[in-house]
Amino acid sequence: MQSSKDLTRPRRGLDRRRLLSGLGATALGGSLAGVARADTAHHTVADAPIANVASQLDSVPYLGRHQAGVVDARPANGMVASFDVLARDADELEALFRTLTERIAFLTVGGPVPALDPKLPPADSGLLGPVIRPDNLTITVSLGSSLFDDRPWLASLRPKHLQRMMRFPNDALDADICHGDLSVQICANTQDTTIHALRDIIKASSRQMILKWKQEGNVPVITPGPDGRAESARNFLGFRDGSANPDSSDVAEMDRVVWVGPEDGEPAWAVGGSYQAVRIIRNFVERWDRTPFGEQERIMGRTKMTGAPLDRREGSEFDVPDYVSDPEGKATPMDAHIRLANARDEASKAHIILRRPFNYSNGVTQSGQLDQGLLFICYQANLERGFITVQRKLNGEPLEEYIKPVGGGFFYTLPGIRDASDYVGSSLIAAARGA
Amino acid sequence: MRMSGLVGASALAFILSSGAFAQEASLDLVEPIAEYKIYVSEKLAKLVEDTTAFTDAVKAGEVDKAKELFAPTRLSYEAIEPIAELFSDLDASIDSRADDYEKAEADPEFPGFHRIEYGLWEKNSTEGLAPVADKLLADVKELEGRIASLTFPPEKVVGGAAVLMEEVAATKISGEEDRYSHTDLWDFRGNFDGARKIVDLVRPLIADKEADFLKTVDANFETVDTTLAKYKDGDGYVTYDKLTDDDRKVLAAAVNTLAEDLSTLRGKLGLD
Repeated sequence: MQSSKDLTRPRRGLDRRRLLSGLGATALGGSLAGVARADTAHHTVADAPIANVASQLDSVPYLGRHQAGVVDARPANGMVASFDVLARDADELEALFRTLTERIAFLTVGGPVPALDPKLPPADSGLLGPVIRPDNLTITVSLGSSLFDDRPWLASLRPKHLQRMMRFPNDALDADICHGDLSVQICANTQDTTIHALRDIIKASSRQMILKWKQEGNVPVITPGPDGRAESARNFLGFRDGSANPDSSDVAEMDRVVWVGPEDGEPAWAVGGSYQAVRIIRNFVERWDRTPFGEQERIMGRTKMTGAPLDRREGSEFDVPDYVSDPEGKATPMDAHIRLANARDEASKAHIILRRPFNYSNGVTQSGQLDQGLLFICYQANLERGFITVQRKLNGEPLEEYIKPVGGGFFYTLPGIRDASDYVGSSLIAAARGA
Repeated sequence: MRMSGLVGASALAFILSSGAFAQEASLDLVEPIAEYKIYVSEKLAKLVEDTTAFTDAVKAGEVDKAKELFAPTRLSYEAIEPIAELFSDLDASIDSRADDYEKAEADPEFPGFHRIEYGLWEKNSTEGLAPVADKLLADVKELEGRIASLTFPPEKVVGGAAVLMEEVAATKISGEEDRYSHTDLWDFRGNFDGARKIVDLVRPLIADKEADFLKTVDANFETVDTTLAKYKDGDGYVTYDKLTDDDRKVLAAAVNTLAEDLSTLRGKLGLD
C-alpha cells in the first residue's frame, strides 16, 4: 500500500503552505488508488489533518533512517502506550524488538488477516475486518531510562540525557500514568486503527512486556480556507497550537532540531534516534471558559480567533511576534505562554522542539468536571536543551492556574528500521553484545 | 512565578486605563481595595495566631488538641486563598495535597497542612511532624510578610471571588481536599465567606446597574448558607461524609453558578 511515494524518509518537503493550497483541487479529482494521497505527504507536523482527504489506503513507510511517526504530519488520532519490559538479557530484548518490528511491518503495510481453525481464538481482534489497510498508521518505539538503569548489561548504553521525568513545580504526577520501560506511539487516521494496533501489539508481546498506562488523543481535522491554506489545529483551550513549530519537511532543520547525529556525543547506537517527552496535561476547561477573553489572550500571547500574535492582531498565526519592539510586554506580556516558551531571539533557537500533541478527553473527575487536556508529545535531539529547558522557562507562568501536568515520561526514540532485514533497536542490541 | 503577573499588575494605572468606564472604576475601587487589604490583614493575623497554637499542639504531641485546631485554623487561609495563591511557592508549601506528589502521602516532599492532617488522622500520631509544623508556621509568617508589602492588583481582588468558587468546584466539592479529616465543610465556609466579602465590597459600585445580577448571586449564596446551616455542629461543621447526596448536588450547582456569575464581576467593574 505504498501508493506513489518513495520509501526513503524523511520526505522532502516543499513549502508547507504552497502545497496545501494545491491540496483541495488534487483531492477532489483524486482516485481512490492513492494518487491524491501523495500531497498529504508534504503536510507537516504542525498542520492539522485535512478534512475529507484521509483514506484507509494512506500509508507511511516504516523503513528508513529514522522511525516513522516523528516528522510525519499528525493524522487525526494518536496514542501513547507505556509498557514494563521483562527482558533479562540481550537475546530476550532482541526477541521483543523483533516481535514489535514484525507487527509494525504488518500493521503499517496491511494485508489479509490469517484465518485460523475456528476452534481457536482468532489471530486478530477483527476490528478492521479480514483485510488490514494501513490507514496512515505509524508505530514509534521509544525506551525509558528504567529499561537501562534496571539492567547492568544495558546501563552503560543509556543515552546521556535520558532520565526519569522529574517533577516540575506545577506538576501533580500520578504514578499510575508516569514513566515506563518502553513507549509505543501509535498514530492513524481513525481510532479503530490505533486501538487495533495496540491490541495486536499486546497480544503479540504478552510474554515480553506488560501494559502500564496509555493515553489516547486526537487532532481536530481542518477544512482549508478559500485560499487552500489550512490553519493549525486548536487545543482544548480553544487556541491554535503548533503555529511556531519548526518545519518538519525541512530535512536539515529536522537533523538539527530532532534527530541525534554523530556529533551529539551520544552512544553510537543512538544516532538517528530522538528524545521523546510525553506529558499528560489536564486543562481546567470549565474555569478557562469562565476567564475573560482578554486575559485568555494575554495568558497565551496570541489572539484566540486567528492565532495572530498580539502585536499584529490583524495578521495570521504564521506572523512572527516582534518582541524587540515590545520590550516591556505591552502588546505581548513578558509572561505570556508563547513568549516564555520561545523568546524569538538567537539564544532561543537552541531550544526549539518539534511538538506533536493530541487533545484528549477522558471522562469526569470526582468533582464532576471534565477530564480533558493535551497529550503533549515532543521530539528533540537534546532533551536537556529542548523540553526540559523550555519547561523551566514556563515554570510559574500564569497559564499554570488552568493546567496541571499529571502524567507522561521521557523516552528515547530508537533509530529507524533500515530495511526489511533490519529490526527496531538492532543497533542497541549489537552494542549490548559488543559491550 | 505568578508574581511576574504582579509586576505588570501593580502598575495600577496601566491596568485600569483601558476602556471608557475603567477610569471611573479605578477611582471607585480604591476604597474597596483598601478595605479588602484590611480584611486580608486581619485574616492573616488570625492565621498566624491559630497556626502557632496548632503547630505548638503538634509539636507537643497533643494529637486530640491538634485535631481540634486543624479545621478552624485553615478557615482564615481558605477565606483569602486568591491572594495567598499569588505566591505559588508558599501556596504549594502550605496547602498542597498528596496528589501533587508522585509518591503521594509517602513522598518526603509532601508538606504543609495536609501532611500534618494525614499524620493526625491516618496515623493518629504526631510522630515526625515537628519539622513539618515548624516549616508550616514559618511559611505562614512569610506569607503575612509578603502580603503586607503587596500592592493588591484590583483585577486579582475582584477576580478572587470567582477564583474561590473555582477552587470549590474543581477540587473541594468531591471531598478530596480534607480527605483524612473530612473537615471540608469548614473550608467551604472560608471560601464562601471570602467570596462574599469581595462581592459586598464592590456591591455599591454596581448596585444600580446590576441589580438583577446581584439578586441572583445573593440567592445562590443564600442557598449555600441554608444548606451549610443544616450541618452546623457547635462552632463548626460535621464531617463531610454526613453531607447527603442531595445536598451535595445543591451545593455543586450553587457553586458552579456562582463561579459562572462571579467570573463576570471583573468585566462589570471595567477591569481588564
